[in-house]
Amino acid sequence: MQPSQLVELAVGGFATGAIYGLIGLGFSMIIRSTGILHFAQGEIMMLGAMFGWMVVAWIPLSFVVVLLIGMLFSGLASALIYLVVYRAMQVRDIPLMNIVIATIGMSILLQNVSMLIWGSEPMSYPKFFAVETYRMGPVHISPQVLWVFALGFGLMILLQAFLAFTRTGIALQAAAQDPETAQLMGVDLTRSTALTFLISGMMAGAAGVLLGSMFFASFNMGFIIGIKAFVAATLGGVGSIGGAMLGGLIFGLIETFSPQWISSGYRDAVGMTLLILILLALPGGLVGLFSRRS
Amino acid sequence: MATRRVDFSATEILVGRAVALAILIAAPLVNGQLYFIHVMALAMIAAISALGMQLLLGFSGQLSMGQAAFFGIGAYTSGILTKNFGVPFLVAFVISGLAAAISSLTLAPITRLRGVYLAIATLGFTIIVSLVLRNEEWLTGGSFGLMAIPRPSVGPLVLSEKGIYFLCLLVLVFVYVAFNRLVDSRFGRALQAIMLDEVAARSSGINVTLYKSKCFVIAALVTGFAGCLFAHHSRYLNPDDFSFWKSIEILIMVAVGGIGSMAGAIIGAFVVVLLPEYLRAVEEWRLVIFGALLILFMGLGQSGIVGLISLTLFRARAALRKRAHGLPRSGSVSP
Repeated sequence: MQPSQLVELAVGGFATGAIYGLIGLGFSMIIRSTGILHFAQGEIMMLGAMFGWMVVAWIPLSFVVVLLIGMLFSGLASALIYLVVYRAMQVRDIPLMNIVIATIGMSILLQNVSMLIWGSEPMSYPKFFAVETYRMGPVHISPQVLWVFALGFGLMILLQAFLAFTRTGIALQAAAQDPETAQLMGVDLTRSTALTFLISGMMAGAAGVLLGSMFFASFNMGFIIGIKAFVAATLGGVGSIGGAMLGGLIFGLIETFSPQWISSGYRDAVGMTLLILILLALPGGLVGLFSRRS
Repeated sequence: MATRRVDFSATEILVGRAVALAILIAAPLVNGQLYFIHVMALAMIAAISALGMQLLLGFSGQLSMGQAAFFGIGAYTSGILTKNFGVPFLVAFVISGLAAAISSLTLAPITRLRGVYLAIATLGFTIIVSLVLRNEEWLTGGSFGLMAIPRPSVGPLVLSEKGIYFLCLLVLVFVYVAFNRLVDSRFGRALQAIMLDEVAARSSGINVTLYKSKCFVIAALVTGFAGCLFAHHSRYLNPDDFSFWKSIEILIMVAVGGIGSMAGAIIGAFVVVLLPEYLRAVEEWRLVIFGALLILFMGLGQSGIVGLISLTLFRARAALRKRAHGLPRSGSVSP
């Protein structure tokens, strides 16, 4: 492989990685604060992609506006689902495993309701970006890929800053780390968990619009991508935001380069094998390697 | 009110089992339509794999999303053996169960994983197996599928549609009885202890990981048998039938029927397989309904349809007592 080709592939891998990172981040935040593995996370992403597509089919808006609309819709849907379904189950002391099974039900429900609303045809977004590639010497990079990477990564950094530097963000972190103490310090747990779902939904919604603009939006786009995003988050280290970003980028690269060695029919198998291996050998993920506590 | 306990009196259980068995024996004799018999047999095959899932989820607390993989391994093993190598059906039946069980052994380390991580790891395994089924065309026929699988035969006797039905019923009854005995034994009590308090069970000398892995392998074995029956029942295998959606479908059967009840797994399987057949008009709503049912039943507690039946019987008994004695009396059975 030529070096220029290598760079082009790597940039593409980073773009996919940013999308995995955005979704995986949501998985991470939810599992850290509630213990719930949110199987419907991929569908929340899909809702953003579908709604964004619907809006842009009505009114031609700029890409950033569509991105914000998709984020808002997914975020609200996610928070609403938490408050109406999962919260109601938590209040009634339903075992965690049942809530996790209910998230699988939610995933099926969201997919099929979306199919009834938007149909089963994949929808393609209008072309937002210039078709001409940027050239840096022998390297050709499409503006779209670059933008997806920049926007995705930018959002993750924004979120990290929000969590680290704002009062609400710090309260969220505290509630995730030690709910009872946080509650004693005056953090409203219902509100903070709802906010966690809102934020993770917004990140997933952004991923949906970014992904939709690269390929297409369809009712069943979410599940496998959601699982792969979880693989990425596990690779980085479940529960860690930086880990989700790191895991996303590395997994994006792995997926982009693996067809060079393995038949493309087994593309998804790479991620799944990786998942099983990490869970068995390195449960703390890559981040766990550096911050090993007693 | 969070989780209702399922509780039936001994008579109710006996009557329930007798009625169910009588219905299943009589069904193909009363209604001779081939399609009806075909679908009922399909429901029984589903029920066998649901029983395996129940042993995992309801009796050892393991949320496995890998059952489709074992189902697929069983189905393809038997299909390939009988079609390509002329292996007699009964031998292939045993081998297909063993193949699924052995493949689950490779996953045994995964049973160390807890809760949601087990779910996602077994989901990953299902995705890998379905990719193998799709891509290894030389062995499995790839996405064209494996066609013209021979009918099951016992010695010189080739089974008809009705014969397959009774074969499925026989296996179902056998697995049901075996599992009931299993969960009632020392083994079952150890599982119960693990479910109640894993740490306490471990400190009383129960090898938790070993027990969980044993359940995992037994469930895979039974699911492999179910897969073999499926192969010879539909006589055509397609990788689409063994995707992770199949695992989720098996999960729905158990969750809707009632987690923690062997009978519940069977009832759930019949509901999941038969409901769409009788709700053709709402074909596209099928999955919407199942998704909603899954959330609803999980929200109500975990005892599913069986729990609802139990509650109804409890109320009926209470009403009867009230009529007989004029006042409610505390019974031996609590809801």
